[in-house]
Amino acid sequence: MRQMIEATELTKNYGNVTAVNRVSFSVTEGELFGLLGPNGSGKTTMIRMLTGQIPPTAGSARVMGLDPANDPIGVRGLVGIIPEQETPPSFLTAEEYLHFVAGIRNLDSVDERCDRWFDLLEFRDKRDVLCKDLSRGTRQKLMFAQAFLHEPRLALIDEPLINLDPIMQRTVKDFLTGYVQGGGTVFISTHILEIAEEICDRIGIIHNGRLLHSGPVEDLVATGRHLESFFLDLVRGDAGA
Amino acid sequence: MPVPDLFRAMMKEEWRMHSTIFGSLGFALFPAVIAVFAFFGALTLPIFADVFPYDVVALLIHTLFMLMGVMVGSFGLMGREFMNRRFGQASLIAYASRSLPVSERRIFAAFLVKDTVYYILLYVLPFAAGFTAATPFTGLDPALGLLAFVSLALAFLLGLSAVCFLSTLYARSVALLAGTAAVLAVAAIAAFRLGAITVSAVLPPYAFFLDPAAEPLALSLLLILVPAAVSVLFVTVDYPDRTKRFTNRLDPLAGRLRGLGSAHFIAKDALDLLRSEGGAGKVIFSFLLPLGLVWVCLQVLIRFIPGVDPLVVFAVLLGVISATIYNWLTEFDSFTSYTFLPVEISEVIDAKLKSYALANLLPLGVLVLAAATSGGAGTFLPALAAFASVSAYTLAVTVYLTGLHPNVMLYHAWVFLRYLLAISPALLLLIFASIVDPAYAALSLLLVAPAAFLLARARTRWQAWEMPTY
Repeated sequence: MRQMIEATELTKNYGNVTAVNRVSFSVTEGELFGLLGPNGSGKTTMIRMLTGQIPPTAGSARVMGLDPANDPIGVRGLVGIIPEQETPPSFLTAEEYLHFVAGIRNLDSVDERCDRWFDLLEFRDKRDVLCKDLSRGTRQKLMFAQAFLHEPRLALIDEPLINLDPIMQRTVKDFLTGYVQGGGTVFISTHILEIAEEICDRIGIIHNGRLLHSGPVEDLVATGRHLESFFLDLVRGDAGA
Repeated sequence: MPVPDLFRAMMKEEWRMHSTIFGSLGFALFPAVIAVFAFFGALTLPIFADVFPYDVVALLIHTLFMLMGVMVGSFGLMGREFMNRRFGQASLIAYASRSLPVSERRIFAAFLVKDTVYYILLYVLPFAAGFTAATPFTGLDPALGLLAFVSLALAFLLGLSAVCFLSTLYARSVALLAGTAAVLAVAAIAAFRLGAITVSAVLPPYAFFLDPAAEPLALSLLLILVPAAVSVLFVTVDYPDRTKRFTNRLDPLAGRLRGLGSAHFIAKDALDLLRSEGGAGKVIFSFLLPLGLVWVCLQVLIRFIPGVDPLVVFAVLLGVISATIYNWLTEFDSFTSYTFLPVEISEVIDAKLKSYALANLLPLGVLVLAAATSGGAGTFLPALAAFASVSAYTLAVTVYLTGLHPNVMLYHAWVFLRYLLAISPALLLLIFASIVDPAYAALSLLLVAPAAFLLARARTRWQAWEMPTY
């Protein structure tokens, strides 16, 4: 199977702070990989490096065969990205924003693509509302739509279910599972363990910028342990070390 | 939580917010820049005294400070969107009444006190200090500096309390706001027509500056304290839903602009401008007002310096002022909005330059109008060259120094100083040369090369820029 993401000794320093410390892992095509960690553990920095938003201080990465540090636009053209904090432009409507993204990505059949997402995420009634007037949940739906508008083979999502209600969380989880079954690949970062336990094929656990564990979820299930206790033991053990 | 504690927390928050953007030293120097500006501005007062008597200048400055109060109040009350775009999800104490066990009323009172103290120290005090420092050279009474401090602070507070009052009405009921505004407007027009009211009565801080008596002081305090108290008593954060809906205008607009390239970006800039508070009117107003002032000043200058071609000098200054359009074009944009899309930062900058070029049709129209009405057609070509070159150069300096953030970065004392040093010498040389012979204004075309160089550097500089995460 093709390696969609390969990180080798990836490191990022902000001044004296090491946000990500020599992390290596890979994600195979058709996998749903979850990077888990407490707040501030380096998850967002990892996604930003993998998508060429920031260069690594050391180490390297390949995303769909490209080096995000050298070809960030190439990587971002291929993948779909949902950043954790960014919100869509204030004075465009939801529909206009999707058309704006489609314009940047040179997509055709834009109306059909938009309609699909308005229907799947149930926000057709908000399509003509300015982004600044949308609820946080609807903004997250819109960010989801923009990331998948070009039907990427790989999506990198920072906190996928943030601000979504339980019904929409179910819809998104079902979509991601189906997307991966259809050959797509997803890299999510989250601190919500239930998401990882429910939908991820493999997980990595990061703490203080270091990858403490990487492996299939089913291996964990086979041991009879819950992800939560495993995660807490690992992170607390690392903090005490 | 008592109001004094809230006040202290908000003061710290305001300082940290500004110093995060500009750096502590950079922001701390900003009042010094205002003082220097006021000092040199005051030095020119005797030169223009013929056409601009002191009381007219005083009226303009008091109006300016009142408008500043309006701006500060508007930003505090409605600036969350702006802050969100700059820093991600902004979370300020002023918006925290739903999450903290503190009443909206108490938070709002502390907010008003904080804005009063903070901005008087930041703007009014340095301005008055600069003005006072110039009095030995202008022959004005140094005591006027103290008087100006009090009256300008009152003018600032008048604007602040008025906008707080009106925003409280807005939050309670749009009809109430519209009704109040209509009644005030009709009353003001009628009073002016009947001659029952003067400018001094409308702007009592200005009246107090002209005549420091108890009556205008009391009236000023009344007009500040009553609306402020009403707005604190009736403040609410439960704004009624006024969601606007729009059909897709991005695609039709982008379709018409397709030939320019970056069409979706330019269309987005246009929609940002049209749909944000004030619409296109804010650009025209903020642009035409200083231009009118420049034109009047030039008419004065002609008397002192024979041979000056007002159209050419106007074109030079028009070029500088037109660059402020870039500030409007970037008001709601940020590089981080594009870092997850397949678009180079340089492409975003290029698109802004195209939007800017299109928006510059407005100042170009002003120049044509000025040439047509002033009989300056003979020097139109050098004037046109001067306008276009200066506009391009000023824009290039702005883009190089501030990227997509001129609205915040130019408040950084160091950046502002570099901006002044890059623009002023070129500007002064050009004006001097055009005084010698208006045809020399064509020398401004020499600015095109450094403008192109700076824009090229800006592209790589901001491409490598990493937005700190907060």
